[in-house]
Amino acid sequence: MTTYTLGHAEIADTFAEAFPMRFARLVITAATEAWALEAARSMTGFATSVIGCKCEAAIEQPVFPAESPDGRPAIAVLLFAMDREGVGKRVLERVGQSVMTCPTTACFDGLPGAERTVSLGRSLRYFGDGFQASKVIAGQRFWRIPVMEGEFLVCESVGVGRGVGGGNLVVGAGDEDAALGAAVAAVDAMRGEGIALPFPGGIVRSGSKVGSLRSKSLAASTNHQMAPTLRVQVEDTLVPEGVGAMFEIVIDGVSEDAVREAMRRGLHAAAGAGATHVTAANFGGKLGEFHFRLSELRDPP
Amino acid sequence: MTLTLTLRSSPPARVLAAPLIPERLRGLNTSEIAAVEVRCGREMVAVGDLFDVAGTADGQLVLAGDLRRFDGIGARMSSGEIVVRGDVGGSAGTEMSGGALRIFGDAGARLGAAYPGARVGMTGGEIMVTGNAGEEAGAGMRRGLVVVAGQSSRGAGLRMLAGTLIALGGIGAEAGLGNKRGTLVSGLAVEPLPVYELATRFHPPALRLQLRRARELGLTVDDALVRGTWARWSGDRTELTRGEILIFDGENGGR
Repeated sequence: MTTYTLGHAEIADTFAEAFPMRFARLVITAATEAWALEAARSMTGFATSVIGCKCEAAIEQPVFPAESPDGRPAIAVLLFAMDREGVGKRVLERVGQSVMTCPTTACFDGLPGAERTVSLGRSLRYFGDGFQASKVIAGQRFWRIPVMEGEFLVCESVGVGRGVGGGNLVVGAGDEDAALGAAVAAVDAMRGEGIALPFPGGIVRSGSKVGSLRSKSLAASTNHQMAPTLRVQVEDTLVPEGVGAMFEIVIDGVSEDAVREAMRRGLHAAAGAGATHVTAANFGGKLGEFHFRLSELRDPP
Repeated sequence: MTLTLTLRSSPPARVLAAPLIPERLRGLNTSEIAAVEVRCGREMVAVGDLFDVAGTADGQLVLAGDLRRFDGIGARMSSGEIVVRGDVGGSAGTEMSGGALRIFGDAGARLGAAYPGARVGMTGGEIMVTGNAGEEAGAGMRRGLVVVAGQSSRGAGLRMLAGTLIALGGIGAEAGLGNKRGTLVSGLAVEPLPVYELATRFHPPALRLQLRRARELGLTVDDALVRGTWARWSGDRTELTRGEILIFDGENGGR
């Protein structure tokens, strides 16, 4: 495989393969930023991969009170699924279990005016057992669901957009500490508007491949080609000599451009933070319609 | 461009201004608008005889002058915006279903209400009043938002079906009689009718949004009201007990 260098890092001339997904953006407000964060963390928990969790979700960014829908501290979260129906189901489950249950929160649509929507408050209102009430405020309907604390306010529906899921970078270095440090730097650079990094801390240490070498029933199994401990054991290893640990960063974004620019930021940050090898995961280009070539990310952000 | 009607002088009798709504005037030129007739007492008079007409009707209508003898301003409007710079007569925004009516002055009786004898009043849209509102504001109201910066007089929310009426300066006596699911909001302490009972004190999240919306419509709303605690009185207990009167209870525990 051909490579180019960025600082001290060798960048593989390969590409990340990504897929079209549907997403919703929710804005969770609360009395304090800490409570908004609690709700957002709970809502985006166990949402690392559509394969195992039926959706991918992450905190997008904090929203300042001056810009939040009700003037309180807020956190914006992004949730991705393969289709609109999937987004609707997961949003409803997660807001019901993680946001409505969290003290002082209210939940708003972060994609107002979107062409397609899915029901949220319209369905969740039944939790109010007939005691719920609605208010139309500035043309938007909200549901007031009576709860033990007072009322939970939730928007009638949320917009669904077309996004991109599965962009990725794989960051390697001589040992675990160096590789993790570089990956963390990449994550810090990538986070922001329009980007969700759904894995813990934004980082995956157990990247997977589709299927299994030994079992037909496994949907995914370890990416043995990128496991350093197997470097001399498997013939088709992708771990270069001198690389002792690799971490993957999976990127979902609200657009192809958002993913590409996040990858660019991450690539340059990793290279500047001790990565010695950066590559990307793909499926040979046959599965995903979006290909992000690392060679096209050479120019700094 | 906005259509502006500036009152020349007080009319000789009360005027029914209901035809002066954006959707009925849209697309008319200045002379056509001046020729629109409104009822003035027993006569029909042309708009051009009462007002100086300027601009084009594109969805926003500005009425300027002392319009206390004009009833039904914004009545049955469904879209667009009416801005009134002056006091208005009775039945402003009556049976309105959409759009915004912003009154920079006082409003007369039955603001956003039903016409006398009709069951259903305002069914949508927003009304903002910088001054006070007369008797029976929001009577029969079914949906929509009415925000009054000052006081609403006696009988606000009479037989209200739903919707929200906010009086930052306090609601008058006998508010919410026959209220089914409506929300009445008083920015000052009042004694609700005996058919209401205190449920709790809390931070109503929907009211917070409505007060912020009132700011967008042009009202000054104290931060203490937005962040403060409100007492919820449930009633009318002779109806469904699903209506409410929210009374400002101070900044304690403000969020």
